[in-house]
Amino acid sequence: MGTIRFRFIMVALVVSFFAIGMAAFLNYFKYKSTISNIVKSRVLLVGQGIEGSVQASLQLGMQFAELSQLPQLLQRERQSDRLIRGIDVFDTNGQILYSTDRARVGQKASDSWLDAAQHAKAIEWATEEPDEFVAGLSVKNAFNLTVGYLALRYSREDVERATGVAGREILLAALGAFAVIAVLAPIALILVIRRFERDLSTLDAAASHLEDRAQPQPVTEGSGFEAAISSLRGSLSEANKSLDDLRARLDAAG
Amino acid sequence: MLEKQYLWRIYWRLAGVIMMSVVLALAVVSYFSHRVFERELVPETEQKAATVGNSVRALLLKATSFGVPFESLYGVDQTFKGVIEENKEFDYAALTDATGKVLFKYGKEPAGASDFFRRPEVLATLQGERPPWKGFRNGGQYFVSLPVASDKPLGILHVAIAPEFVNNVLLEVLLDVVVVLVVSLFFTLELLNFMAGARLASGLGEFAHQVERMRTGDFTATARMRANDEIGRLLRRIDAAVDHINVRYEFLVGELEDKLRKASGARREALKPAVAALESIKSRFRFGSAAKEGDGDEMNLNRIRAPLFAFILAEEMTRSYLPTYVNNLLVPIPGLSPQVVIGLPIMLFMLIVALGQPYLGGWSERIGRRKAMLIGAAVATIGFAGTAVAFNLYDLLLWRSLCAVGYAMVFVAAQGYVLDRTGQANRAQGFALFIGAIMVATVCGPSIGGILADNLGYRASFGVSAIISLLSIFAIARLPGAEVRTAVSQRPARGPRMREIVALVLNRRFMTLTGLAAMPAKMILTGVCFYLVPLYIVSIGNTTAMAGRMLMVYAVMMVVIVPLAANLSDASMRRDRYVSMGLILSGLSGMLLLLSESFLVVFGVVFLLGLGQSMSIAAQSALVSEHCKEEIRVYGHDAVYGVYRLLERLGNALGPLLASLLVVVWGYQGAFVAISGVVLVCGLLFTIATRGQEPVPEPVSP
Repeated sequence: MGTIRFRFIMVALVVSFFAIGMAAFLNYFKYKSTISNIVKSRVLLVGQGIEGSVQASLQLGMQFAELSQLPQLLQRERQSDRLIRGIDVFDTNGQILYSTDRARVGQKASDSWLDAAQHAKAIEWATEEPDEFVAGLSVKNAFNLTVGYLALRYSREDVERATGVAGREILLAALGAFAVIAVLAPIALILVIRRFERDLSTLDAAASHLEDRAQPQPVTEGSGFEAAISSLRGSLSEANKSLDDLRARLDAAG
Repeated sequence: MLEKQYLWRIYWRLAGVIMMSVVLALAVVSYFSHRVFERELVPETEQKAATVGNSVRALLLKATSFGVPFESLYGVDQTFKGVIEENKEFDYAALTDATGKVLFKYGKEPAGASDFFRRPEVLATLQGERPPWKGFRNGGQYFVSLPVASDKPLGILHVAIAPEFVNNVLLEVLLDVVVVLVVSLFFTLELLNFMAGARLASGLGEFAHQVERMRTGDFTATARMRANDEIGRLLRRIDAAVDHINVRYEFLVGELEDKLRKASGARREALKPAVAALESIKSRFRFGSAAKEGDGDEMNLNRIRAPLFAFILAEEMTRSYLPTYVNNLLVPIPGLSPQVVIGLPIMLFMLIVALGQPYLGGWSERIGRRKAMLIGAAVATIGFAGTAVAFNLYDLLLWRSLCAVGYAMVFVAAQGYVLDRTGQANRAQGFALFIGAIMVATVCGPSIGGILADNLGYRASFGVSAIISLLSIFAIARLPGAEVRTAVSQRPARGPRMREIVALVLNRRFMTLTGLAAMPAKMILTGVCFYLVPLYIVSIGNTTAMAGRMLMVYAVMMVVIVPLAANLSDASMRRDRYVSMGLILSGLSGMLLLLSESFLVVFGVVFLLGLGQSMSIAAQSALVSEHCKEEIRVYGHDAVYGVYRLLERLGNALGPLLASLLVVVWGYQGAFVAISGVVLVCGLLFTIATRGQEPVPEPVSP
């Protein structure tokens, strides 16, 4: 294979690798963000129901720390979706007041939760823990003051399993596409650069007979190089003729 | 220039084939991704529909438990409206009775829905052991059906998943895929040049040069190393032919001299025709060894393109998301508004580059261009890596300063590298190559950076910039170490002196051009493109990828329009008009925000700004020598251009500061309008100031 042909094929492969890699990357991350959003919004739907109940109780004048029916409601809602691992309600200091997991009541919520909840630009907030995702809502009283936060912990594993499956398939599709291109692109390139290679090989053949005194090799017309080769031949021929003349005069002189 | 046109024909054909391959590959990846999306997303969306449905069902059962007849429930369609409007995945909801008759509905009814609701398998969900919900597919439509039953079956709640939901998700990816295609095209051309074209162009150039030499009778032999490729083999054959004819000539000359030495009288007379023939040959041809030429530099010149492209790409990638990243690391600085603080890192970067460049030229000359580039790229790599792990705004400022110092070093040293290897004849070609690498990086960088930031996060994207900058170090290390100086570049470079700066700043003619055209043009560029667009686009709910696409529009305009506008302005010799038109168009761009806040209008702003800037950018530089002849005579060409560039770059630094102050006072839209207004006024004043001045042809300065 010619060096130039090899270089052009390498260009095609590098560019295809970049484009396919980027497309696979984009599709994978789009899938990941879409599925994460769907799951998060599903979990938050459960949260909105709870938040609605808490709001109703607060509007009846009950204290946020004294919602006696809330633990049962939290248990019921947790069981409504297999994805949800637990539900916690904590105050603005981060202390957990209600939870589906009794042991957590009275403990401090993770700093990252409080940070995410306090810095969220909307009522909804979200954060990630090593083994679970957390989606939450701010709980506001009738005066629109935040009295606490609701956090729904849900399985990271489920989301990542779905993402992993899609990721593997997108990767396989990308590798398959690259394999097809690795075969097709060189063939297409060879077809396109055949003319150029023919020009070069004609040029090479012509150049290898530059010094021939016999009928010169014809140069393919329209190759883009015929004028150059004719010029080279003419120059060499003229110089050789002059040297022939000198040779003849030397011979004639004896 | 046979070989250039010939090569470009081949390039475009190859680029066409490569792009077709890329489009095909992207289509294959998109098709399979669509299948995966549909298969995996639909069940998850059904789960969500079931959760929504559960909530609605609970409400329905609560109402019926109070004795409200199922057929006469109040506000069901309002509840459905809320569900559809809050969840873009669903487009229709309906409640039927136990026979499948629709009682309440909201949304566009899918074709065949009424028949579907009455199908036995659908109605069967109410009978026997009722599942909590069941998913159905009716044609292209997905339904989630939930039985509603108290002590007896009441009806079925249906939530329809929008069939175009998956397509819409993929459509959002499509925009990025188009960006990938555009970037791929530029990468293709860049790689064709880097991996094949530079050597090919050099080889074909050498071939054409050799043909021309022999045509003029120059058969002197060159002792060149030829590349081991088709062109190299061709050149070796020509070298061999030249060597043979030289040997033949030397032999004949030797024989004649020998005969002349030994000859006397009549014999010497007999040799006279041969002597005359030799004289004739000597007058028409040149044989022997060629004088050592200092070239091979066309090849070396091309070699700067890849490292420069990679290095600038690393910086350009950060343009679309840097302000948003700074916004995340914001710490309150007493007395400074957050908007001004966000602009600080950009302003500092531009200021360091502006002040550093005039003095780094001499430094890179002293220590060597390659070494200066290596140091610059290493400093910037540390800067990028530091920015990726920045703790807060204060250390971010330090890391960005390192990026700026590195950027200025590499930029100036690369410029010097080109200057060193070009003479008057090929200076423009050298700078076209230099600017070409930068422009391609400007097209590819912000869009790819925006996509990466959206998906990987800001820190990881800065990490990618650090890796690309690191890769550029390896590419720089492959540049020739030996320093080359042409006659022009042997003159030591120096920064402008303070007295020159003061004198020129007080000069009316000079400041008409610099203060009314060059500085405002740069101010609006950095203020709008580097500060306002990335922040505004994100503030109206778009992504950093969208900001990147916007900046790509600007760069594409520059790539397409600048050469065209430069040719037209040179041909018309009315460069001042092009500068005026460019400034006025740039000045009108931000006014579009008065019409609407939509991101499409921002697209129009960037488009118009790109058009305006590309019309004026080349003409502006050329106008310096046209308008400031007297100043150039007094202070010298280098001093005038040095001060011009310094002030122009200070305009770069002022842009983000001005924009941030305007945001504090008038908000984003007001800032767009106000900064454009300033440029529009400058454009009008420039037009008035230069009206009636007759054009005088002047050479264009680099």
